[in-house]
Amino acid sequence: MQPGRANRFSTLSKAVAALRTRLHGHAKVLRPNDSLTDNTDRVGYLMVLPYILHIAVFLGYPLAFAFVLIFHRWNIYTPMKWVGLGNIRLLLSDPLVWRALGNTLYFLLIHIPLQLVIALGLAQLLNQKIRGRAFFRASYFLPFVISGVVVTILWQQLYAVETGIINVLLQLVGLPKIGWLTDRRFAMPAIAIMATWKNVGLYIVLFLVGLQAIPSHLYEAAELDGASGWQQFRLITIPMLNPTIMLVLVLSTIGGFSLFIEPYVMTGGGPANSTLSGILYLYKQAFFFSKMGYATTIGFFWATIIFIVVLFQRRFVETEAM
Amino acid sequence: MSARPMRRLGIVLLLASLVGCVSPRPSKIMSSDGRITLTYWSATNAQELEFANQIAAEWNARHTEIQIRVEPVPSGQSTEEVILAAIASGTTPDIYANVFPGAMQDLLDARAVVQLDEYPDFFNVMHERMPPELLEQYRSFDGHYYQVPWKSNPVMVLYNTRMLREAEVPTLPATYSEFLAAAARVTRDRDGDGRTDQWMATIDYYPIWYKRLFDYYPLYLAASNGQKLLDNRRVIFDNEYSVRVFRFLHECFTRGYIPRQSFQGDVFLDGRVAAKFTGPYSISQLERYRPADFEYAYGPIPRPDDAAGQPVSYADPKSTIIFTTCRQPREAWEFVKFMVSKQNDLRLLELTSQLPIRAGLLEDQTFADYFKRNPKLVKFAEQLATARGIESIAELKEIFDAIAQEVEASVVFDLKPPEQAVHDAARKSQQILDVE
Repeated sequence: MQPGRANRFSTLSKAVAALRTRLHGHAKVLRPNDSLTDNTDRVGYLMVLPYILHIAVFLGYPLAFAFVLIFHRWNIYTPMKWVGLGNIRLLLSDPLVWRALGNTLYFLLIHIPLQLVIALGLAQLLNQKIRGRAFFRASYFLPFVISGVVVTILWQQLYAVETGIINVLLQLVGLPKIGWLTDRRFAMPAIAIMATWKNVGLYIVLFLVGLQAIPSHLYEAAELDGASGWQQFRLITIPMLNPTIMLVLVLSTIGGFSLFIEPYVMTGGGPANSTLSGILYLYKQAFFFSKMGYATTIGFFWATIIFIVVLFQRRFVETEAM
Repeated sequence: MSARPMRRLGIVLLLASLVGCVSPRPSKIMSSDGRITLTYWSATNAQELEFANQIAAEWNARHTEIQIRVEPVPSGQSTEEVILAAIASGTTPDIYANVFPGAMQDLLDARAVVQLDEYPDFFNVMHERMPPELLEQYRSFDGHYYQVPWKSNPVMVLYNTRMLREAEVPTLPATYSEFLAAAARVTRDRDGDGRTDQWMATIDYYPIWYKRLFDYYPLYLAASNGQKLLDNRRVIFDNEYSVRVFRFLHECFTRGYIPRQSFQGDVFLDGRVAAKFTGPYSISQLERYRPADFEYAYGPIPRPDDAAGQPVSYADPKSTIIFTTCRQPREAWEFVKFMVSKQNDLRLLELTSQLPIRAGLLEDQTFADYFKRNPKLVKFAEQLATARGIESIAELKEIFDAIAQEVEASVVFDLKPPEQAVHDAARKSQQILDVE
């Protein structure tokens, strides 16, 4: 066993022993080979019971129920009707599902690189000894804690064709106004920019943690060897940040596939379905048209896609960079 | 565990967010002294809540044995969703006073509403309010009545007459060409900065099904002289009337008379937009918030230049129902009769500016003084005679969604010609009807 793990196990053993003393009045010190799943010992089960219950009620049951729904037509208020693979056939032939998938991938294509570059760049800056560092760190984090609906309504006004400040500025410098949310070419990029602005604070914090964990002697040694700033960044910072980059990538991907509030509030999925996301389409099927079976089919399909994409990212991004 | 409790638990979990705000209290209580309390859900706007509270207070003072408790309907994307969620979770009230008749089929499928024509005085009460041919529109497919047609808000066009006068528009537009001519004068750049800041009208064009009940549908009824969208589950709106409506709206958008932009706040009230499609309920809001020099008037829904006869519009009717979860439906029926009495219809007008569905409103002496004091409502009362309802079928939302998608694609974003868009909406709608 590695030393770190042995220490953690020892700490856990002591904690369990302390709890045992409280519950039974005597302590039994666990040794590394002792089984924590001893049938005679219910303390462990007791400790994890709330979590198991939580998982069973709020994850296990809804998941199982949703799986059953895939094979049924159900509008909530009348009995379920068995449709076999009907919902899956409908999904495979529904052009809007594929449209939503294409839209989401387009969103991710803009959002993730933008998020990574801006978050890493700002984290790098905020990791320097600059005046007002705490203020800037708090400022960049602020949008992340503001309600998504509030942020989208604000950006809706910024993007307004006639009265939005962005178009006013464009016209001041002699450029034509842009239909940020009303032109199919710009609507999804506009949402991706807004989503980046909203979420970048979280990823800056993650990158800051990663940057501060890089031992300073690596940079000192590189400097002694005559490495430039860019070489240090490329050959030390990026490889050492690989786990953080992976985390940001996975979180951004999952967040991107969950895109809902932004198109729901800003565009309603338009113009002409160009910002229709998978979750927005699922929501419409479930709560506009009461098609619970079809909505859960879309949900499972979406979860499968996320699983495949994340698996793909782990396989290629992690191995290439390490 | 048997399937039924499993399903119930599933319902609760799936709809927890929607029904979370529904009152957990039982919908009816019989106290130890035998007094019955019935729950009555009202619309949430201040005027209707005031109406509900006033009639409940009057009823409660007269009937100590049957008490009415008023609650605003819980909030949600639409009240139809909230009601269906309440049915699924068993938290329906006893009486609900704002049912969209287009959603009645959903409630019937769920066996959630009490059959009202089983009460011996049902037809007497109804015929006192309306002629049999009007009542017939509210009959369900099984031949029975489950709703009391209560109120109507015919959709018309509300104009800022001061803006029209400043643009030298002499009369309220009644036809497409009059509307477009007025729009060309009204839409402009007021402060000379090169950007349009005043428009003829505004429409919430997001492809959400019920939004099209207040623009495409009244325009279609006006253009076709009240033709239906469906006939015995066959789509019949793939016709020249729909195409004309699409073309008219398309012209408004492409010429910039209606902006492709959504606004925060009331742009009609702050004088940036000269017209909007709305019902009489806007009057009480306007009277409360309008600036002193704000002038307004209601005009008919624009229609093709060659249209003849009385202008037709969408009635936007609402009905009152009793839920099957009510343990004292007979007592609830007594309260509903009180609610739709002539005196309370007058109270509805006074407090909410909404029209009771009652024939001969303008001739009845009970309402004469009200209409004398509120001449703007006279137009709505006149429109009521030719206003139409909507088909009550389970697929209505999906059909209007198909229309909304095509309106957005063709009218707003000019991605396909109106003829093609109408044809595509009709084809999709027929597919929806055939699949179900």
